[in-house]
Amino acid sequence: MVKVGIPRALSYYRYFPFWKSLLEGLGAEVVVSRHTGKHLLEDGVRHCVDDICVPVKLFYGHVLDLVDKVDYLFISRLVSVEKGEGDTYTCPKLIGLPDMIKSSLSGLPPIIDFVVDVQNMPLKSSAKRLAGSFGVTGARAKRALGGALEVERLYQAELLNGVPPEEAIEAVLSNGGGNGSGSRAGPERTGGGDLNIALVGHEYLVFDPFISNNLPRKLERLGANVSFITQVPSAVVEEELARYPGISWSYEKELLGAASHFLSRDDIDGVMLVIGFACGPDSIISEIITREVRTEKSPPLMTLVLDEHTGEAGVATRVEAFVDLIRRSRTRTTAPDPN
Amino acid sequence: MKVSFPHMGNAYIALSSLLSNLGAEVIVPPRPTRKTIDIGALHAPEFVCLPFKVNLGDNLRSLQMGADTLAMVSGMWACRFGYYGRVQHQILRDAGFEFDSILLGRDGIGYVYNKFRPTVEGNLTLGWFRAFRHFKRKAEAVDKLEIKSRQIRPFEGRRGSTSRALTEGLSLIHEAPSLEQIDAALSGALGLLEDVELDRDREEPLRIAVLGEIYAVLEPSLNFDIERRLGEMGVMSYPVMSVYKWLFRPLKTDPRITIDEYRARRIAKPYIAYVLGGEEHQTIAGTINAARSGYDGVLHLYPFTCMPENICRTILPRIESEFDIPVLNLCLDEHASPTGVATRLEAFVDLLRQRRRKRPPARIMKARS
Repeated sequence: MVKVGIPRALSYYRYFPFWKSLLEGLGAEVVVSRHTGKHLLEDGVRHCVDDICVPVKLFYGHVLDLVDKVDYLFISRLVSVEKGEGDTYTCPKLIGLPDMIKSSLSGLPPIIDFVVDVQNMPLKSSAKRLAGSFGVTGARAKRALGGALEVERLYQAELLNGVPPEEAIEAVLSNGGGNGSGSRAGPERTGGGDLNIALVGHEYLVFDPFISNNLPRKLERLGANVSFITQVPSAVVEEELARYPGISWSYEKELLGAASHFLSRDDIDGVMLVIGFACGPDSIISEIITREVRTEKSPPLMTLVLDEHTGEAGVATRVEAFVDLIRRSRTRTTAPDPN
Repeated sequence: MKVSFPHMGNAYIALSSLLSNLGAEVIVPPRPTRKTIDIGALHAPEFVCLPFKVNLGDNLRSLQMGADTLAMVSGMWACRFGYYGRVQHQILRDAGFEFDSILLGRDGIGYVYNKFRPTVEGNLTLGWFRAFRHFKRKAEAVDKLEIKSRQIRPFEGRRGSTSRALTEGLSLIHEAPSLEQIDAALSGALGLLEDVELDRDREEPLRIAVLGEIYAVLEPSLNFDIERRLGEMGVMSYPVMSVYKWLFRPLKTDPRITIDEYRARRIAKPYIAYVLGGEEHQTIAGTINAARSGYDGVLHLYPFTCMPENICRTILPRIESEFDIPVLNLCLDEHASPTGVATRLEAFVDLLRQRRRKRPPARIMKARS
């Protein structure tokens, strides 16, 4: 069986179940790179341009991890992911990702360059082209695509319930479909902690336990219930975005919409904006969030910049200080005046 | 209406002519310096690209000089340039300044067109037409001067004399109010450059293509006046982009630029399959063209964290080896020092000289306009 490698980085967190079931439906075996670790990241940094963003450096590391293990490398090229009014697109680095990998690494297995450009080409055609390259046509290709879309739908439903991507992937791929309950849930359903903190940031940063220094777990250990942007339904995002028009980056629009949603909710005690160092769109969108979206009445907003040098202690200190400050401001507003 | 806009190379000459012909009072901020960049960096987000910080510094100066309207153009693709105006103006408003914004590209043509209704005397369309003619004539004149100065600088007898003549010529054009006077100023300025004493006996200069992110290539305060530096080292530099091309590319009035863009996209296609929103196609195609027409080397300039150029930076080593052309990548940010840049430039030029000694240029390149 042909082995196809998918790097555990960037778009993995969004589309992996779809790709895996599509590729398996076409008769391939899917291999995923290992979880991010120190050596993997160092490998990536060594083979990459110095001043590119951390997520791309991570992606390089994951690609290098797969090189000797697979016959093909599956790299997505996300050009546009929404079919709506006006031009939308993703970050230039996601558009040029296969070009970068092809030109800068040697000794690679052949690359499957999967184009997602829904504004100009339906996803079906991209999938059909992929099926063609595997020699699969007709009803079998259609079945594979149908199955993959169904898995992706279940996956998105799991995410919406607050299940982190890795667990959701396991759930939908192991038993052929989740039950919608999820093994761990957001603040709406657990309510274990006394604080509700929302994490706003790209999945590939927030949910990579190595690069984020296990941020969600850290917050939970400090007694907070964590909400993710994956829990904000797209209809809500759209509604919020109506107030902030003119952004054309699809993924950053989600961040903006989610941030606006969380910042206007009464039950959220704090919002953490998690961005990667040298990320282009984030440098603009974080500025728009802090200047246009945040108001005097919003809960506290904190920006956490992650890079490949970020030490665990640095992140821990800032997170603890943030949580402490929220708790202190709460006691000050609720405790009776001593005088 | 007191309008101002950020600097980019010599674009201010054409732009201030456009705005003043529309009846606005134009405030041109002083040319950016390291100080401007520092002030901009102070107020800008931490890892936004460098042009953002310089523009912001320019805007601050303009507001201090009494501007009440800030104009800014916006890119339309995935590059951050599309959001510059919006975020910069918000930062300035948060800092307590009050002003009116003109965001060309986002606000739509109609909005900008009507914005000048109160200031234009008589018919608005005619006013725009007149302003555009002045704008075009000045942009062309500046372009001609820049090209001329580039051709003579490596041969100048006294170091710096070309740049002095160029500065004087540019100010002649900047001050010319009417079309006839622009033409007269142009011939006067060209005359000044003709008068520069030349030493024609020098050996054939090295030819280096300068390309990369457009602002880094065209703004002397950002690239430590690289064109002049190279010229005074006896190197002929060929910037792939120019202010003229940048101004007229989106207007699509000059078929030469449109064809040039189309060709660049075609050449770059095997390396970058999709549009990224910056000058990536010009960078890739420029390097390939430089190799094909026998240049000695390529200088690739880009600001720290620039998205499209970082992708080019990843791809250029491959082109470097495939087409056998040396490329020097210079990443510029607010911490770059003139000494650091000068050292690397000198080393690069030395290497190119040695390379040429071993292997004289096979083809004589056609002079590019």
